[in-house]
Amino acid sequence: METELRILWAGIICYVVGGSMAIGGVVFKKRPERAVLALIVLGWLLHTAALALRWERLGQGPFVSMFEILSSNIWSLVLVFAISYWRLPAIRPSAALVMPILFVMMGWLMLSSPGEMHFPRAFRTPWLYIHVGLGKVFLGATLVAVGLAGVIQMRRTARGAEWFQRLPDDKRLDELAYRYMAMGLIFNGLMLVAGAIWAQDAWGRYWAWDPLETWAFITWLLLAAALHVRVTFKLPPRLSSAMAFAVFVVAFLTFFGVPFLSNRPHQGTF
Amino acid sequence: MPHFDPTHAKPTRLLLALASLKLTLVGLLLLGLSTVVVYQREQSATAWLAAPLLLLAFNLMAAVATNRVFRRQMPLLVFHLALIVLVLLAVAGRMTYLKGQTELTEGAAFESLTGMQAGPWHGGRLDRLHFVNDGFEISYMPGPVLDRNVSRVRWKNGRGQEQRGEIEQNQPLVLLGYRIYPTSNKGFAPLFLWQANNQQPLLTAVHLPSYPANANAQAQTWRPPGGTADIWLSLNVEPDLIATDRASQFRLPTDRTLVLRHRDIRYELQPGERLVLPDGTLEYRELRTWMGYRIFYDWTIPWMLAACAMAVASMAWHFGKKFAATPWNTAPG
Repeated sequence: METELRILWAGIICYVVGGSMAIGGVVFKKRPERAVLALIVLGWLLHTAALALRWERLGQGPFVSMFEILSSNIWSLVLVFAISYWRLPAIRPSAALVMPILFVMMGWLMLSSPGEMHFPRAFRTPWLYIHVGLGKVFLGATLVAVGLAGVIQMRRTARGAEWFQRLPDDKRLDELAYRYMAMGLIFNGLMLVAGAIWAQDAWGRYWAWDPLETWAFITWLLLAAALHVRVTFKLPPRLSSAMAFAVFVVAFLTFFGVPFLSNRPHQGTF
Repeated sequence: MPHFDPTHAKPTRLLLALASLKLTLVGLLLLGLSTVVVYQREQSATAWLAAPLLLLAFNLMAAVATNRVFRRQMPLLVFHLALIVLVLLAVAGRMTYLKGQTELTEGAAFESLTGMQAGPWHGGRLDRLHFVNDGFEISYMPGPVLDRNVSRVRWKNGRGQEQRGEIEQNQPLVLLGYRIYPTSNKGFAPLFLWQANNQQPLLTAVHLPSYPANANAQAQTWRPPGGTADIWLSLNVEPDLIATDRASQFRLPTDRTLVLRHRDIRYELQPGERLVLPDGTLEYRELRTWMGYRIFYDWTIPWMLAACAMAVASMAWHFGKKFAATPWNTAPG
């Protein structure tokens, strides 16, 4: 376990250095974008190695304990953001807002116990990977959207407008955030459907009103309502970006707050 | 406001109001609030969700009927039709579903459900449901933490041939559309041959409380058929029957002595021993196990799955088509 933890911490150091450079680049108007991308990718590769070693050692994926849930979600969120960062150079300064969100999760990860937990029998099904994978894409899409929404909100201040002047205008950013939220709606919907199929097969009911599935559904409703409001009222970017924030906060609390607060947040978990 | 197709008759004001996108938002908000109420207060889901779902269904139907956008954009139409179908299936499912539990002694056949809930239009093929509990194997990880719960069952197929199989989580027995799952509810069941005075002998089992959840309360009160007084019976199970520090299996206790109390007189019975009581004769045949099963029926599930898949696919189709038509950095705001 020592080796995999050392590799994990090395990966996190890369993320933190890369994220800090992204923040510095925005504040001091530099463009260390290649170095930021290289550090994020290096961190992600080290993180992948740490997860693979743990999987190999325990014979089970990172799906059960809070340490595993945080680690695997940081891994998937970094992956989704890194792809966006690579493919959409115009939005790269948004890393200065996205990476601090991941820093919070990394801090929480460092405080969590890396001990192993029992892997429930019902988790030995391909539906686990489908359900969890779809959820990770959903959360990744909302993370990118909230980064763009954050830029729009920050630009309302004089300093924020100066820091983020290189990015496209608010309307363009709002349009891109809307597209990521639409992607989030699709993947959240698919996650709920896959979870229902799995629950039906495993426990004989497709819906049980447990805390995590209920809040995941509320997140879906909120996301659907946010997209509907945007279409219905033609909102200005500052308002629709505020809704993107609201969706991300609810999604974040659903994914990480509910398992933290509830004794038995989801069927099969502890 | 929605656009009306002039090739059709003019919609009424009510229909247009019902088709409003603003009403959709009201419906989504109400559905969200109802979801929170059902979750927080553990209220009946049907009662709380019916009104917002019906509102959304009427809103969607009115929108599809009056809004030309749906005729121009096939993916959007398919998405909304799939949502309407989902709501209708949810209603149909609530009218015809069934769920309940049963406890079966090892070797006993299913007879009836306890704690049954069913929709008013449930067809009632439950009387044709037949399966037998042939015992189980349960393994525990240190703790003890339940690991694997496999129930052996026997049933007859459509041609009357006997079939045998094992069921567990992720692998239910499906008979006549009913899905049968073993639960973690299981325990010990002393099997008695009871013969009330001047009556035919009757083979019956008494289910002791679920084990190991009630490890320190393995006692039950039972009134034999035709008897005039209760019999209190208890099984003293050794504390380390399921190990806490290593992997282990569910098993019967080594000492199967039953302690009985009848009209303030204490008795001890070993398997095979008889007890003559004023009401009749009780023979303790053997100690068996019992298993709790959950039974669920809802014919709408595969159709709901298809409607969900259609809704999500058409939503992806709609957004994909829309976003591909205009790059994000040139799209009008």
